[in-house]
Amino acid sequence: MTTMVRMEAITKTYCLGEVSIPVLKQVDLSIAQGDYVAIMGASGSGKSTLMNIVGCLDRPTTGEYFLEGKNLTTLNEDELAYIRNQHIGFVFQQFHLLSRATALENVMLPMVYANLSQQEQHQRAIQALTSVGLSEHLAKRPNQLSGGQQQRVAFARALVNQPAMILADEPTGALDTKTSQDVMHLLQELNEQGITIVIVTHDRDVAAQAKWIIHLQDGSVVNQACNSRL
Amino acid sequence: MSPPVRYRRLSTVKVLMMAADALWSNRLRTGLTTLGTIIGISSAIAITSIGQGVQKATEQKLQALGTNVLLVQAGVTTNNSSQGAATLTWEDSQAVSQQVTAAKAVSAFLQKPQVQVVYAEQKIVTNLIGTDKYYPEVKNIYPQEGQFLSQDDVNAANPVVVLGSKVRDRLFGLNASAVGADIRIQGERYKVIGVMEPKGALGEVDQDDQLYIPLTNMSARIVGNNALAGLAISGLWLKSNSEVYLDAAQFQVTNLLRLRHNIYPPQPDTFRITNQKDLINTLNSVVGLFTVMVVAIAGISLIVGGIGIANIMFVSVVERTREIGIRKAVGATNAAILHQFLAEAVVVSCTGGAIGVGVGIVISFGAATIFQFPFVVSLWSVATSLGISCVIGLLAGLIPAHHAAQLDPIVALRSE
Repeated sequence: MTTMVRMEAITKTYCLGEVSIPVLKQVDLSIAQGDYVAIMGASGSGKSTLMNIVGCLDRPTTGEYFLEGKNLTTLNEDELAYIRNQHIGFVFQQFHLLSRATALENVMLPMVYANLSQQEQHQRAIQALTSVGLSEHLAKRPNQLSGGQQQRVAFARALVNQPAMILADEPTGALDTKTSQDVMHLLQELNEQGITIVIVTHDRDVAAQAKWIIHLQDGSVVNQACNSRL
Repeated sequence: MSPPVRYRRLSTVKVLMMAADALWSNRLRTGLTTLGTIIGISSAIAITSIGQGVQKATEQKLQALGTNVLLVQAGVTTNNSSQGAATLTWEDSQAVSQQVTAAKAVSAFLQKPQVQVVYAEQKIVTNLIGTDKYYPEVKNIYPQEGQFLSQDDVNAANPVVVLGSKVRDRLFGLNASAVGADIRIQGERYKVIGVMEPKGALGEVDQDDQLYIPLTNMSARIVGNNALAGLAISGLWLKSNSEVYLDAAQFQVTNLLRLRHNIYPPQPDTFRITNQKDLINTLNSVVGLFTVMVVAIAGISLIVGGIGIANIMFVSVVERTREIGIRKAVGATNAAILHQFLAEAVVVSCTGGAIGVGVGIVISFGAATIFQFPFVVSLWSVATSLGISCVIGLLAGLIPAHHAAQLDPIVALRSE
């Protein structure tokens, strides 16, 4: 299995005036293609920062990050934007949909920046929404959809540029148990299709589905274990 | 793994469409934001258009009088009070006619305002002019009916009168026949021999509200001539062969009259010369000054409008921080965000500019219709207005758009 994510001695330090706060300390991480990894840890443990660095939304202070074998540490902002657009799909706790755009327009958004033709955008967005079971809600705005439906729109948006990896930050955090299960099921399916999944969660039940669980504490990986259930 | 150029640059059309879409979803605010540009551009367009129309109308009227005409009036203007001293005579006029080589035709005239005229039961007060047969040629106004005063009428001081079209309307009724009728001017009886074509008013003088009788007759019967040197006149009109001879004519007339009146330096002239060309130039400079002033005011309104747009753009960036974060997370580059917000500012101000051009044209068309002057809209003013409004949008959007583009996606995503 090829390596999707390889991190070597990643540190992240925030400087607040004279005080520097280390958020990540010498994190080494390796995620294989097709893996399903859950990152757990108390709030303030650095899991969101790690997730942002994996997702190219943030850069490490020191250390090196390789995605599919390519070193991303030296890339400029435009190049990182391109990687976010082409290689990574994001799903957030708060869904983060554009409120004045329809489900279809939300899903088309990544393709707008990929400069695809209007026709292709349309076609692929419909396909993605159909694959998450929302083919009848194309023209609805987020406020006309339930929480579960909104999260599925977010999944469709994350999938539409056919990324190699999906990063989900507390994807079930704002959902009830039933819809949470639907979302977990969807993640499972995607992983079975070969998409690498990295999920940040508090919830042990959610993490239990992953192949690997990484525990973070005070910015360091304290435990990286193969899921006992598997 | 560096992104292809295709990825870095969205097409302008796409960016504009996105901007229009965002603006449309906030219609009320967008409308209010465009008001500044609408007011600025529409007032600039309306005023320049109205100014050009009025200028053209006045020029047309002045040109109808002839741009190659000089007016020489008796008396001098000192400290705003004009002294209509009887300094010019008919003999002066004849001397000008004979000796000024640049003169094509010369017409002497006597003028008396507020003269009572009676026909049957109708009594009116109007302006009386005593003149000679050269008047129509010099003033470019001809009889519509009957004929003008002849040399015989002047020589014999015949009691005949030619009516201005408005005088005919007032005395006889609209377009009624008047030739052959007898009217009384200050109690004296005159026979109507002609009616002039309508020419319209120019400034204070309504050429159609005048009467013309032989100069000699007016001098003897109406004014009561007591000039020692001869028949006193109010002034004379001189028509040169062409506009280019006008300055020469003015020079010749000045010298001739000073000589005839024994005026030597440093004594001033005892007469005034008005050049039709000077009138047009003065008028143009007045209209020009007026236009510059109003355009300056419109400019200020545009600047205020631009500041309004900048303000709203700042608010919009703050409000849409999360949207910016989302767009960046799914792959928008800084440039894409910058272009999006710049495009919104430009679309707002250009839409305002376009609406302003429309409103301005409607206003000036309305004004031209109501006040009856030619409707002129120069392509130049429309193009400039649109150009300026686009530039203002760009300038106003620059700082807010840059601010938006530089937002950290993580911070932006976290904002409420």
